[in-house]
Amino acid sequence: MRRLLGLLLLSAFAFAGEVNADVIARPYDLWELIYKIWLFIAVVIYAVVAIPSLYFMIKYRFKPGEREVGDQEHEGHWGLEALWTIVPLIIVLYLATHGFAIFTQMRKPPENALELKVTGFAWGWMFQYPNGKMVVASAIRDTEDKKCKPEDCYRVDGALQQYAYIPAGVPIKVLLTSQDVVHSFYVRAAGVTQDAVPGRTTYLWFQINKPGEYWVFCREYCGQWHSRMFAKLKVVPKEEFDKWLKGEVAGFENKTVKVVKAKENKAQEVVR
Amino acid sequence: MREALPAHKPWFAASLWEWIFTTDHKKIGIMYGVTSTVFFIVAGLMALGMRLELFSPGAQYLKPETYNWFLTVHGAVILLWWAIGIWASFANFLIPLMIGARDVAFPRLNALGYWMFFAASVIALLTFIPGNHIMTMWTGYPPLATMQGVGFAGTTALFVFIWHLTGFASIAGAVNFITTVVAMRQPGIGFFNLNLFIHGIIAANVIQLLGVPSVAGAVTMLFLDTYLKTSFFDPARGGDPVLYQNLFWFYSHPAVYVMVLPAFGVISEVVSALARKPIFGYRSMVIAIWAIALVGFTVWTHHMFVSGIPDWVKIIMSYTTLLIAVPTGIKIFNWVATLYRSAIQYRTPMLYALGAILMFLIGGLTGIPLGIPAFDVAVHDSYFVVGHFHYVLGMAVTLSAFAGFFYWWPKITGRMYPEGLGKLSFWVVIVGSNLLYFAQLIIGIWGMPRRYYDYPPIDSWIELHQLQTYGAFILAFGILLALTALIKGAISGEKAPDNPWMSNSLEWRLPSPPPPHNFEEPPKVEEDYCPHGYCKF
Ligand code: HEM
Ligand SMILES: [Cu+2]
Ligand SMILES: [Cu+2]
Repeated sequence: MRRLLGLLLLSAFAFAGEVNADVIARPYDLWELIYKIWLFIAVVIYAVVAIPSLYFMIKYRFKPGEREVGDQEHEGHWGLEALWTIVPLIIVLYLATHGFAIFTQMRKPPENALELKVTGFAWGWMFQYPNGKMVVASAIRDTEDKKCKPEDCYRVDGALQQYAYIPAGVPIKVLLTSQDVVHSFYVRAAGVTQDAVPGRTTYLWFQINKPGEYWVFCREYCGQWHSRMFAKLKVVPKEEFDKWLKGEVAGFENKTVKVVKAKENKAQEVVR
Repeated sequence: MREALPAHKPWFAASLWEWIFTTDHKKIGIMYGVTSTVFFIVAGLMALGMRLELFSPGAQYLKPETYNWFLTVHGAVILLWWAIGIWASFANFLIPLMIGARDVAFPRLNALGYWMFFAASVIALLTFIPGNHIMTMWTGYPPLATMQGVGFAGTTALFVFIWHLTGFASIAGAVNFITTVVAMRQPGIGFFNLNLFIHGIIAANVIQLLGVPSVAGAVTMLFLDTYLKTSFFDPARGGDPVLYQNLFWFYSHPAVYVMVLPAFGVISEVVSALARKPIFGYRSMVIAIWAIALVGFTVWTHHMFVSGIPDWVKIIMSYTTLLIAVPTGIKIFNWVATLYRSAIQYRTPMLYALGAILMFLIGGLTGIPLGIPAFDVAVHDSYFVVGHFHYVLGMAVTLSAFAGFFYWWPKITGRMYPEGLGKLSFWVVIVGSNLLYFAQLIIGIWGMPRRYYDYPPIDSWIELHQLQTYGAFILAFGILLALTALIKGAISGEKAPDNPWMSNSLEWRLPSPPPPHNFEEPPKVEEDYCPHGYCKF
């Protein structure tokens, strides 16, 4: 509830709070910028419309014998109508253009990005690191006779659900595809989503600066266990990551997981 | 002339047989209305089931496949039966009355359209038989939708037939309504003194005519892929799942204007009548409606911002999407200006209409960021989207439909609804809806993905899910009150006058309820006729 109030306060002072000085995740900082701009404009527009509306609603009530009929001559005003055509037009053109500029930055992975291949499958993710190391994060499913407890349904047990290690402060470019239905890779802290489409390779990039554990969720409906199709990113300092990467390839091998390369499908254009 | 009309038996006095084989637009209108409302209730009950499941994390009462079935039916039924279907009801009952005609242009095609809609309803009920559940979601994306069975799509054929049959009904309706308005208006009613409700309906039906074939083709290919193993959408054999998304949204984005333009029409009718003032900026209202309908066809890829389409397409459709905010804004500003120097009567339909305007504003303002790809990437397929379309559909459209029910109830049934109960229902609905839908917006900003049967125990998420569930039950209680008020009115309400709102529009010049053949003689339309004026005679 306290956060809820915080959000309402934020909407009142959208511009007062500066963008976080030490950015935890990218391109979340860019998203936060467009978010605050939108929130400010939306709150102002809401006030500009709602306050006069409420004022008119109270002032111009029907009163028997006094005000029984509205002003029949007040039918329109070209000046006013032009005003509320042109001002909104300018606002949306500004929003679209600023959004365009931010989006261009958001889509451009930094040069030194680490490339990670991620394949979605029903229901889980497979991460492939540049040296071939693989990590699988598959959904924890209930069975007919056994349900997981809420705190266990989203736990990393190290067997079917493994941590995907990510170096802190290093940009990661994720190449996505799917081996069955459409899934969608959402890195919560970084505020980016991209579909994993069978037969295509799509991409997104992100960077997390603060070590810790971060959520990845599937955001495109993909059947029964869509809601448990998560992964946990374990963000660790670069040296620790390098050590982990050179270490034993995870013992777990899932023979049914087959990575379909986009190139195998001639009909598909690889979207970059 | 009005006083001279002899007393008649009301339009609804007819045997069951006559009702079934009727081609009377009023009876067909009511049949659409009853069917739509029944399915609205069914979809609402399923949503309450989902809300109970989501009250706390972990599996509670439902299996995931049951949740997914509930959600698929909730989405498909509430969109096709309620948000689209309910306007077929209003259009049928009102168009001929508003333009002074005896019936629609093609009464038998009209009846056929209804019975196709009824057939779709039967198919929807078949999905309730165990083993026949559909779990495709209302969007039915392949490859998932081509994979039959419990973990994936369920029974794809039923999903496809629902689209085909409701699509047929939509096209039959569209041909009929468009022809009726083009060819059967009383002399004196032209493009610029037609009811705004009719403009909304006709723009919506033009969209249906142009758009439905696209989605019908898409689901037909889905059917062929599923059962005859063609490969339109199978990437392993050269197909492309994203093609489906394009064909689907080419219709289904404009379809949101099929739902909302008639709602705008109702708001305009109710606001001008109960504020006792002509609608402000009538001409810009008309232009705005048609601009929305037209531009609406150029924005569909905003549903595909993360589907893997090229970035330049996203940018172009980001501009076109935001452009739609302009005509939409014009409508809102004009409604507000209509209130200036008016004489507002706070009767139930007016409360619902004003509520619809202020809630639609939130729906519109939360829609804008979804049209900006830089914003959308963080909230795509999250509860923010769910909150946005519930503000637009669950509130603006639904409140407008109820405004329409209360507003035309005296004309339809010949009786007034109970005012106190009507007003109470509005306040309960508005409180419940805002708790439910505003919580959806916030939890969406915090990342909660859409279409989730379960969620991790993140504290702030749990709080907001509980808030949603409380809101949902308050809302459901409000809807119950509203329906009670309507039914009570129809059965035992006071006798309604012919023109309780003193509206200038033609339908109010008929007796309440109207006789079977509407106008005994063609109504005279004055030279300066304007449907949105205060009744002068
Ligand atoms: C009792 C009132 C309602 C409640 C409690 C409710 C609740 C919900 C819930 C819980 C979801 C699923 C969210 C998810 O898991 O992603 C949902 C989805 C949806 N609702 Fe409602 N809703 C209500 C009324 C309405 C109304 C009146 C409309 C439209 C006129 C509507 C349209 C939709 C649509 C289109 C979806 C998306 C379905 C999909 O994702 O495939 N709902 N609603
Ligand atoms: Cu999924
Ligand atoms: Cu859309």
